[in-house]
Amino acid sequence: MIGRLLLYIDPGSGSYLIQMIIAAVLGAAFFFRNLWWKFRSLFSKKKAPPSKKR
Amino acid sequence: MPEPVRHPSSYRDPSGFIFQVEGIYYRQINQSYAADYSLLMGSGLYDTLVKKGLLIAHQELPGHPPISANADQRYKTLLPAQLSTISYPYEWGFEQLRDAALLTLEIMNEAILHGMILKDATPFNIQFEEGKPVFIDTLSFEKYDPSLPWIAYRQFCECFLFPLYLEHYCGMEQRKIQTAWPDGISASLTARLLPWKTRLSFGTLLHVHLQNKVSGKDERKVVFSRQKLLNILQHLESIIRGLHTSAANLSTWNNYYQATILSQSYLHEKEKLFRDYLDGLVFHTALDLGANDGYFSQILSERKDAFILAVDADTICIDRLYRTVREKQIRNILPLCIGILHPSPAIGFRNRERASFHDRVQTELVVALAVLHHLVLNGNIPLHDIAGYMAELTARLLVIEFVPLVDLKAQELIRHRSSHHPYDTHSFEQHFQEYFSIEKKSVVPGTERVLYLMRKKIASP
Repeated sequence: MIGRLLLYIDPGSGSYLIQMIIAAVLGAAFFFRNLWWKFRSLFSKKKAPPSKKR
Repeated sequence: MPEPVRHPSSYRDPSGFIFQVEGIYYRQINQSYAADYSLLMGSGLYDTLVKKGLLIAHQELPGHPPISANADQRYKTLLPAQLSTISYPYEWGFEQLRDAALLTLEIMNEAILHGMILKDATPFNIQFEEGKPVFIDTLSFEKYDPSLPWIAYRQFCECFLFPLYLEHYCGMEQRKIQTAWPDGISASLTARLLPWKTRLSFGTLLHVHLQNKVSGKDERKVVFSRQKLLNILQHLESIIRGLHTSAANLSTWNNYYQATILSQSYLHEKEKLFRDYLDGLVFHTALDLGANDGYFSQILSERKDAFILAVDADTICIDRLYRTVREKQIRNILPLCIGILHPSPAIGFRNRERASFHDRVQTELVVALAVLHHLVLNGNIPLHDIAGYMAELTARLLVIEFVPLVDLKAQELIRHRSSHHPYDTHSFEQHFQEYFSIEKKSVVPGTERVLYLMRKKIASP
């Protein structure tokens, strides 16, 4: 906390790396979810849920 | 012509600022923001957001508009739609902050579609107007560079997501977090406050615990894309939609009218008297003190040309009223979590950036139903001081209920007290008549409670 108070940090500093990591994790999660839906749709008459509902 | 006064909170962003002339607020856009402003207007983003009611509308003032002191940097002067009142996130209930967060994300999605992005994400950029949140900072938009992540992501987390998480998981009221950390609560503190089980949840693991671990690490090699940002925004939205206020926060007041001796007939009789009192009154602004779930605020709101500020110290009550306001689309009630004993102070740079509650309130009618006995018997405020305070709050009118000592609710308050300030009808009328003249006075049938309509005496010169 004290370090944060003493330094001037722009609002984006420290948040780019975490966003890259989160984007990578979400990308992988969405990829496997879509794969799962495609796989499931092969055995079901129901269509895959629209991509909006994550 | 009177001198333009720059708004004391409008100093951070070099792109422009708000100033006031004769009670009207204007916005100066500086030349440094010219390109981004042109993109906002030219890309169709402004029109889309205003049409959806997400962004405050404005008109450009050509010719010779009021000029601020920094006229040499001026690019344009705007006249934004004027707001009914200003409120701050430390006065909002959980659901108000959640809706403000969702609004920010919706605007981000729309902005990205139009090649722009929000350069900051603070709840102070949002106000509640006509029953719903609206974004008021026209200068927060800048050109989007898809190769970079969102510059305001951390600020969004610290000001919106973390306070919501802390109320959801720990029952800490978000408004109290906003009071203590008006610029946002850090990931490190949030990570320490959240229960251990949040390490097992995808959302909190990524946005709080992992963010806490990697903050300050080298991030020179940034590789990003538009789709990645859209994925993060969608993830944030789905998290925030799933958050709700903790059940542990079920309050003393949230079933006041349903589960007490205060029966339906009492409410019915009081409503009849209240409507009778309102009947001949002209007012355009009203303040409902101790509004509870807003039963009487809603009666006040039937005057479509009146703006009703409904305040209560209890977050759950205010959340409930806010939900009602949204569901019934009541456009003229603003519910806020404010206690009379601890109203919001003036904070920020020079104590002028965010005005105190008292300095923001301008009202023609104050309604204080079943509040007085709490102030005297619980808050230990002498009747004389309360009378003076009510006279400061209202410009003209006061509807106040006197709950006598014999009332069960008053008895509950003094059960464990050895002494309290004088509290009886005679002292009450005597002290209030110093500031007000009593116009109507009626006992609520079936109770010992008395409802008064008072008019403020005009101070002699």
